[in-house]
Amino acid sequence: MSEAPPSRSEVAEKLAEASAAGSPLSPRGGGTHSRVGHPGGRPAEFLSTARLDGLIDYTPQDLTITVEGGMPVDRLSDIAADQGQFWPQVGAGNGASVGGVLASAASGLSRLRFGPIRDSLLQVVVATGDGRLVTAGGRTVKGVSGYDLPRLMTGSFGSLGVIVEATLKLWPRPPARQWYVRPGADALAGGRALLRELYRPGAVIVTPEATHLELVGQPEDVVAPQGFLPADPPDRPTGDALVRAAVSPARLPELIQALGALELSFAAQLGVGTCAVGVESAHQIQKVREHALALAGHAVVEDAPAELRRDPWGPPPPGLRIMRRLKAAFDPAGVLNPGLMPGGI
Amino acid sequence: MPIAPATASAARFRELLDPERVIEHPLERKLYARDGSITEGKCGLVVLPETRDEVCRCVQMASELRLAVVPRGSGTGLAGGAVPLDDAVVISLARMNRILDIEPEVPCASVEPGVLNLDISMAVSHLGLHYAPDPSSQAACSIGGNVATNSGGPHCLAYGVTAQHVLGLEMVTADGEVLELGGPAPDPPGFDLRGLAVGGEGTLGLVTKVCVRLTRNPPEVRTMLLDFDSVTAGAATVGGIIAAGVVPAAMEMMDQKMNVAVEAFVGAGLPVDAATVLLVEVDGTPAQIAAEAALVDAVGRKHGAREVRVAADEAERQLLWKARKSAFGAVARVAPNYYLHDCVVPRTHLVGVLEEIGNIAERHDLVIMNVFHAGDGNLHPLIAFDRRDVKQVERVHAAGKEIIEACMAVGGVLSGEHGIGLEKRDFMSLQFGEVDLRAQADARCAFDPEGLLNPLKVLPAGSRCGEVALSRDSLPPGTWL
Ligand SMILES: Cc1cc2nc3c(=O)[nH]c(=O)nc-3n(C[C@H](O)[C@H](O)[C@H](O)COP(=O)(O)OP(=O)(O)OC[C@H]3O[C@@H](n4cnc5c(N)ncnc54)[C@H](O)[C@@H]3O)c2cc1C
Repeated sequence: MSEAPPSRSEVAEKLAEASAAGSPLSPRGGGTHSRVGHPGGRPAEFLSTARLDGLIDYTPQDLTITVEGGMPVDRLSDIAADQGQFWPQVGAGNGASVGGVLASAASGLSRLRFGPIRDSLLQVVVATGDGRLVTAGGRTVKGVSGYDLPRLMTGSFGSLGVIVEATLKLWPRPPARQWYVRPGADALAGGRALLRELYRPGAVIVTPEATHLELVGQPEDVVAPQGFLPADPPDRPTGDALVRAAVSPARLPELIQALGALELSFAAQLGVGTCAVGVESAHQIQKVREHALALAGHAVVEDAPAELRRDPWGPPPPGLRIMRRLKAAFDPAGVLNPGLMPGGI
Repeated sequence: MPIAPATASAARFRELLDPERVIEHPLERKLYARDGSITEGKCGLVVLPETRDEVCRCVQMASELRLAVVPRGSGTGLAGGAVPLDDAVVISLARMNRILDIEPEVPCASVEPGVLNLDISMAVSHLGLHYAPDPSSQAACSIGGNVATNSGGPHCLAYGVTAQHVLGLEMVTADGEVLELGGPAPDPPGFDLRGLAVGGEGTLGLVTKVCVRLTRNPPEVRTMLLDFDSVTAGAATVGGIIAAGVVPAAMEMMDQKMNVAVEAFVGAGLPVDAATVLLVEVDGTPAQIAAEAALVDAVGRKHGAREVRVAADEAERQLLWKARKSAFGAVARVAPNYYLHDCVVPRTHLVGVLEEIGNIAERHDLVIMNVFHAGDGNLHPLIAFDRRDVKQVERVHAAGKEIIEACMAVGGVLSGEHGIGLEKRDFMSLQFGEVDLRAQADARCAFDPEGLLNPLKVLPAGSRCGEVALSRDSLPPGTWL
C-alpha cells in the first residue's frame, strides 16, 4: 500500500513501521527520477512526499529559503521569482520536487556558473529508515557546525532517508540572462574558445549539431557573440534512455569526439565535465562507459527502463565499506530503496 | 578503547621513519601541544611522515598500539582541533608540501596537504588563476587544515567556502586504507564521501592529497571603504546591498576599536573616528563593476556613509586588504591574548546581535572588538584579555558563552569557518538535538569505528561509538567548558 503522509512526523512513523515489519519502501517526490539505479532497488510500495509541500520560512534579505521536501521545484521558483531571486537548480524538470532533485543530485544546466546542486543545500531534515527525524547543517548561508550530512544526503537517492525539509541558498536574479545557439558541427573548437574568452558564462553546451551558450550578468555583457542567435536552452538528448558520463573538463573534448564517432545524441557541459548521452541499448551504454572509464571518468545510467539498468553505476566506487556502514546507520533494517545504490547498497 | 600514552612508543615509530622525524623531546613536544586557540594539551609524540605510504604506516602503527592520533597541518586552527590530549601521537602533514600538478584546462591543481594556502595562488598566478578561499591566515595555514576545517575567508562570500573548491581528496582512514574520493570528473557514483570528509576536522581520516578547483582572476576589481557613525548604519548597509540583489566578492566589517588597533599597526589611513567601516569589493566585467559599485555607493550613502573611499590602484587595494587581514596581529597591542569567536547569524539579525555583543562586553567589563565577514553574517567577536589574570579569564569564558547563546537565539550556527574542535564541542547540543548528534556520531563511526582519530573533538562526550575512556580531567584547564 502506498502512502502520502501529510506531515513529517507521519512520514517518520511510516518508516518506523516499515522498518519494524521489514517491508521495503521507495521514497517518491515528483517521480521524475524513478528510472535510476539497480532495478531491484525500487520497491513497489512508495512513500510520497507530495503532501509535504509547504513553505516554512523565507527571508529574502538573507537569500535563504526553507521548504518542505515535497515542494514542487516550479512552485519554489515562483516564490523566489516574486522577490527577484532564483534557485539555479530549477532546470531539473517538470513536476520534480525539491527533495527529489536533491536526493538525485540533479544539478541545473547553469552549473558552470552557479555550481552543483550540493553547494546550495544549507540545512536538511531527513526521516531515516528507522523513523528518526535528523536535522543537519544550519539555516545560515555559511556554517561548519558538525559533519556535513547535507552533502551526504544529496545524491543518496532516498537510500538513507527521506528529505522532509531543506534550506536552500538562493541567488539574486541577474539583471540579464539569455540562452543562445549557433548551429554547426564544428561546435567543439568554438565552444572551447568561448570558454576561454568569456568571463563566467552560465553554460557552454556542445551537442552534435550546435553550440549552446548561456550568458548571465549586466545587459551590456549579455550580448550574442558572432554567429549566435537567441534560443531556448538545449533539449535533452534523444534516446529511450539517458546516460550521464563525466570526465575531467580537460578531457571532455576527447569524450565528445568518441561520442561523435558512435553517432550518439549528447549534450556536453564544457568546463563542467558532464555529458548527457541518449542511448537505446545495453551495448551503447557499455560503449559510452568504456570511453568514460578510459578517460578516468565514469558513466551512470540516469534514466532508463529496467532492462537497461543491469549495471547502472559501473565499477564500484572507493569507500564501499564506509558507504555500507552509513547505510546501516541511517537505514538499519534496509527498507529504503534496498540495493539501488552502487555495490548493492 | 584504552589509549596508551604515545611517548613510550617512539622506538616503534623509528622503525618506520628516520630517527629525526620522530620527536619525543619534551620541549619540542610542547610546541605541538597547542594550535592557534587558547587551549593547551599534552602531546605524547610527534611524527613527520613525508609520503602517503609513511602516513599509512604511521596510522597502522598507532592503531596496532592503540594510540590516539591527532592530524596536524600548520597549527593555526582556532578551535583546538589540532591540540593533542592525553599524550596522543601527533601526525604532522607539514612536510608533505609539494604542488604535484597544475591543470589549467580544468582548471585545478593537485597538491599535498602541507602546501600553504597562499602558495597555491602564487604558483598559478602566471596563468591568471587563483585558489579562491582566502582565510586571513592564508600565508601560514595548510590546505590540509583548510579541508579539515572547511575554511572560509573574505572572498568566500561570492565564491564559496573550501567545500566548493575541493574536487577530490586522497585520504588515509583509521585502519590505514587509502581512499581516492572524487577528482576532476564530477559526481562520482555512490554516497558523497568527499563532501562528508571536508570539514571532518581530522576525525574521519588524514588527508594526503587534495585536488583543488582553481578560479579565473576577474577582469577587474574595485575595492571600497565605507565609514559610518554607527554600527547599526554599517550593518544596515550590508543588508541593503544584499537585498538590492548584489552579492559582492567580499564585504567585511571592522568596528572602531579594531580600526584604531589596525591603523596603529598598518597605517592604511583608516578613519579611526568612525564607529565602523565596511570594506566592500566587487569584481567582474567593467559593466558589472560599474553597476555594482554604484549600488554599493548609493546604499551606503542612503544609510549615512560619511565617505566612500575607492582604492585608486592595486597598491592601495593591497593596503586596505592588509589592514583587514592583519587585524588579529594588531590586537597584540591591546592585550596579550585574545579569544576569537566564529558564530554565524542570519544577515537580517546582524544589527541586534552586534548590539547585544556590546552589552555583553559592558556587563563583563571586557574589551570586545569586531572584525568579520559581514556579507555572510559570520561574526568574529574578539575578546582581548590577559591570561595571567585569572578573574578576567573567567569573565572571558562567561562572556563567550553569552555571545554564543545570543547568536543561537536568533537562529545562528556555532561556527562559520573555524570548526567545532575542542572549543565548541560541548555547545553542539545548543544547535543539535540528541538524535541529530547521534546521526553525526554514526557518520563519524562509519569512517573510524574504533574512535582512533582525533578523539574528544567535535562531538560532545558520550555520543560516539568506540569512545575513548578519558576522564573530563584530561581536558586542560581553560579548555572551553
Ligand atoms: C590570525 C588567524 C587568522 C585566521 N583567519 C581565518 C579565516 O579568515 N578563515 C578561516 O576559515 N580560518 C581562519 N583561521 C583559522 C585557521 O587558520 C584555519 O582553520 C586553517 O584552515 C587551519 O589550517 P592549519 O593547517 O593550521 O590546520 P591545523 O590547525 O593544524 O589543524 C586544524 C584541524 O585540521 C585537522 N587537520 C590538519 N591537517 C589535516 C590533514 N592533512 N588531514 C586531516 N586533518 C587535518 C587537525 O586535526 C585539526 O582538527 C585563522 C587563524 C589565525 C591564527
